[in-house]
Amino acid sequence: MIRLLEIEWLKLKNYKVFWILIIMYFLGLILILSSGMFLMQFLKSKGAEFQGIDPTILPLYDFPDVWQNMTYIATFFKIILAFIVIISVTNEISYRTMRQNVIEGMSKWEFLNSKLLLIIGLATVATFFIFLEGLVTGMIYSTVRYPGFIFSDLEFLAAYFLEVITFLSFALLLSVLLKKAGFVIVLIFMYALIFEPFLTINMIHNPWINEYTSWIAPYLPVRALNNLIRVPFQKYIFMEIQDYIAWKDVLIVLCWLLIFQVSIYRLLNKRDI
Amino acid sequence: MAQVLSIEKLTKNYGKIKAVNQLSLEVEEGSVFGLLGPNGSGKTTTLGVILDVIKKTSGNYTWFGKASSSETRKKIGAILEVPAFYPYLSARRNLRIIAKIKQKGEDRIDNVLAQVGLIDRADDPFRTYSLGMKQRLAVGASLLSDPPVMILDEPTNGLDPQGIAEIRKLILQIAEQGKTILMASHILDEVQKVCTHFAVLKKGSKIYSGSVEEALNAGKSIEIAARDMKQLRTVIREFRHLHQMNEEKDVIVLHLNGHADAHDLNAYLIEQGIVLNHLAIRKGNLEQKFLKILAEANDQTP
Repeated sequence: MIRLLEIEWLKLKNYKVFWILIIMYFLGLILILSSGMFLMQFLKSKGAEFQGIDPTILPLYDFPDVWQNMTYIATFFKIILAFIVIISVTNEISYRTMRQNVIEGMSKWEFLNSKLLLIIGLATVATFFIFLEGLVTGMIYSTVRYPGFIFSDLEFLAAYFLEVITFLSFALLLSVLLKKAGFVIVLIFMYALIFEPFLTINMIHNPWINEYTSWIAPYLPVRALNNLIRVPFQKYIFMEIQDYIAWKDVLIVLCWLLIFQVSIYRLLNKRDI
Repeated sequence: MAQVLSIEKLTKNYGKIKAVNQLSLEVEEGSVFGLLGPNGSGKTTTLGVILDVIKKTSGNYTWFGKASSSETRKKIGAILEVPAFYPYLSARRNLRIIAKIKQKGEDRIDNVLAQVGLIDRADDPFRTYSLGMKQRLAVGASLLSDPPVMILDEPTNGLDPQGIAEIRKLILQIAEQGKTILMASHILDEVQKVCTHFAVLKKGSKIYSGSVEEALNAGKSIEIAARDMKQLRTVIREFRHLHQMNEEKDVIVLHLNGHADAHDLNAYLIEQGIVLNHLAIRKGNLEQKFLKILAEANDQTP
């Protein structure tokens, strides 16, 4: 395991594109996650108010709400981490280095594992970073700072970790399947933003089929991932939200993770490389 | 001698096309084995299969008497088609990755880079290298773990004459160290110069295999001349080892039977009181042999 991690690190540490994407991810997160209060002030200056409430007094960063708020926002940035996986894998295919790695004495299984370690590594660093960011901004803005509050609801971080790992595995599968980075990136955007959402709308609202299909919709992969950490912000206008991680949602995502992993392995194993 | 590689009735189909067809081969330890054949005859496919990157359709192959695995592959240094490296990494960093994969120390990296003449450019990115340098790095990379077996696929492809000479010298040096080399090529001259054994593939089937020396000897002939060509001609007709005799401009070209050689011929002529003013041995070359083999194969499968 350590050896595979070392190999992956040697491949990436001198690769500029990798560092540019990593820096984009962290700078983007810092920028967005730490400017919540400034955004509220901006909204106030434009005369916005939520059900008569001054936006600047919304407790966005209060412990423990900060964890759901932050992880929810951070999920939009996982696409940058997916780019890293896509570029890393499609490079190995187009440079023929995946093939050469196998010739040198890696098994296909080890190659796959080295990419899984990359995914786990990225997810770990990202989750830890959000934990730090939440801790810092929470300490600055939160009105409550008892450890009991600070460290409750940390399951949102675990859910974020799972979501990133599953999404990146999806990216890995598409990369192995399609081999071309540009194609994979376009497809992953189209699928996540257009195909699956519209498919979902049809399944639920199309009067000819919805009787039979509406139950499937929550099981589709992107929808399942989005359901893991629910949108938290309606609670500030007194609407009910799901402010916990549901086991059923976790289970569906775990199933997808398994499906992605098995498909990647079978695909690699079956194919000439 | 032990068999390093043994291939038994290997077949690879791409749809209806038989890229490799019932191929059987044995490569002995310490030999330099040339896999010859026109482009598209299945050389690279065969190498890809025995290196586990192309799935076989049927048949079998073993390395060192064992089923192929990532462990046996670690004992093989191989280039397949084009050199494959990370273009943004330097030669040294590329070799570090290979050392890690092969689970070998990194202490041989400088050694190998010096051997292939890249030590001065070792820290430049791979993408800045010329084709010849890339090819040399590939040979160097396959030497990195000091493997007992090397597989080289068209190692001089696309190189200039100087580059070709360098790579050949390198291969001969490696062969001298007692390593087993399996080399695919469509350049006959190359196989003739470096290989001890060879096999000829055509449309995925093996149509010939044997030792290079035998093939060359089979084509060997002797040319002679004397002042009195007419007398020479009469006398030589009586030579009991004579197989075939052709007249060319100013010389007579002889093919002898069995193990008879120039010594026997000369002794006979001295006995007969004939003094030669020209005696030369013409070595056969692989090109004649190769074309003959291909022609024979064509006759059999019209």
